[in-house]
Amino acid sequence: MSELTHPKKLTLYVAGQTPKSLAAIANLKSITEQHMPGQYEIEVIDLRQNPKLAKEHSIVAIPTLVRELPVPIRKIIGDLSDVEKVLVSLKVQGE
Amino acid sequence: MSLDEIAELRRRLSEAEDTIRAIHQGDVDALVVGELSNPQVFDIGGGADAYHAFMEVMNVGAVAVDQTGRILYANANMNAVLGVTQNSVQGTLFSDVAQAPVAEAIQRLLVPPLVGPVSTEVEFDRNGERVHYVLAATPLRLSTTLGVAVTFTDVTEQVRAQAAEQNERAARAVIASANEAVLVCDRNGVITHANTASHAVFDGDPLGLTFAQAVPLVFPNATGLMQSEDIVQMAVQGTPVQGVEAHAPNAPKAKDYLVSAAPLQIGNDAISGCVVTMVDLSQRKAAEKQQLLMMRELDHRVKNTLALVQSIASRTLHHEDTLEGFQKAFTGRIQALAATHNLLAENSWTNLTIEDVVLSELAPYTSGVSGRLVVHDLGHSLSPRAAIALGLVLHELATNATKYGALSVPGGKVSVREYVETAAQPDRFVIEWQESGGPVVTPPTRKGFGQTVIARSLQYAPAGGAEVDFAPEGLVCRISVPIEDMAGQ
Repeated sequence: MSELTHPKKLTLYVAGQTPKSLAAIANLKSITEQHMPGQYEIEVIDLRQNPKLAKEHSIVAIPTLVRELPVPIRKIIGDLSDVEKVLVSLKVQGE
Repeated sequence: MSLDEIAELRRRLSEAEDTIRAIHQGDVDALVVGELSNPQVFDIGGGADAYHAFMEVMNVGAVAVDQTGRILYANANMNAVLGVTQNSVQGTLFSDVAQAPVAEAIQRLLVPPLVGPVSTEVEFDRNGERVHYVLAATPLRLSTTLGVAVTFTDVTEQVRAQAAEQNERAARAVIASANEAVLVCDRNGVITHANTASHAVFDGDPLGLTFAQAVPLVFPNATGLMQSEDIVQMAVQGTPVQGVEAHAPNAPKAKDYLVSAAPLQIGNDAISGCVVTMVDLSQRKAAEKQQLLMMRELDHRVKNTLALVQSIASRTLHHEDTLEGFQKAFTGRIQALAATHNLLAENSWTNLTIEDVVLSELAPYTSGVSGRLVVHDLGHSLSPRAAIALGLVLHELATNATKYGALSVPGGKVSVREYVETAAQPDRFVIEWQESGGPVVTPPTRKGFGQTVIARSLQYAPAGGAEVDFAPEGLVCRISVPIEDMAGQ
């Protein structure tokens, strides 16, 4: 029940204002607003500011989007310009 | 190893494969490298700082966009171009922050393949002002992303200057091609422009002279107080002067003009001078003069004709015993007069040939019967005055011939010829009327008005007149036409 009332968290790892980072932020906002409004809460982590935060989700490539819940954890690498691919990855069976 | 551990390993393997594939495909532009305890972010293809710094020092608007039109970086000048702040444009699509014409121009520059520098022009309204920019795009690879760097160069001033120059050129062309003399003066009345047609009012180069110096004017319909400088002064002060007739005594050719002067106002500025136009009136004046002359001539002719009619009426009345006789004789004479008038009117009161008059006057008496009238080469021309007199004489002769002479019987005929009689001094031009085939002629016992008309009609000049010979075999009348009334004599 808590999953319905509280938005699930999406963490986007970027590196300052690289082209892909800028694109990923904008694309993610647009996808969540258009296709799943209110379901997700977005946290953008700038690894250029704090590289150590890469450790938590073992981030190697930037940008990377991480969905922790529901398990299993999912990672989408790239600027999120392929909307279909992002939607398929975010929607797990039964949702 | 438990099933969970195997699943976890599989997940990690899959993740590692995804990462490698993404790096291969250029889906990422930064990597986290180094020790786990001290990771660092590494930009693929170098950092963005270098190109940011480079773009900032450019003195035009500069922006880097990716292929979707997303703004990766815009310099401070660029934000000024769009009228926005940097925070609001980075990462956004051009179409979200720029006006439609600008976004469309960017789209044109992003049409693949992105090769070589391309440029386009765009104009849009910014803060209520129309601005013009030239956009130049060069393909730009920023790490793994392909995009374009676009510069925005403000050409508003150049475009405005060009438009102003074009207007100026058009205005000059309009002035130059006007048929009327057009002179442009500044506020002090000094001529600054003059078209080709203005040579008609001033022989030479009028530039630098005041209008009053170059073209002194006299206004016949105004008091002597009004002069050239006054019309310029009025126009410069904002009062247009429209269509004043003026005489330009110093003008090389035509002297009469219709002068207008209008204030010269460029845009919303104050009046900077005036434009004087001068239309040549000489043709109109000449036409008016001709018309006046014709009216006087017409007046003269009408008076002459009325005097003649009056004289015919009183004379006819004097010679006729009955009202019926008067009516017949008078109407016949007026009709004779009218016939010649008609001929003259048809020929615009120019000279008529003798044949024209003879055929016109005798038509009522000889029509329908061939051989009654024989004319011999009557090609000489007469003045209107002589034609009217000849018409009256011929009418009387014809009336007489119908009553008593050759035209009173079948087989009788009249022949008319012309000749120059050299025996007399000076030479006389004679029109001879000869009747034949009629009854034996005897001189009349009583002299009627008809004979007076015949004798006197052409006596308005010393050489004019007519004499009648009542020869028994047929009446002969020799009509002398004053030599000055023979055209071309």
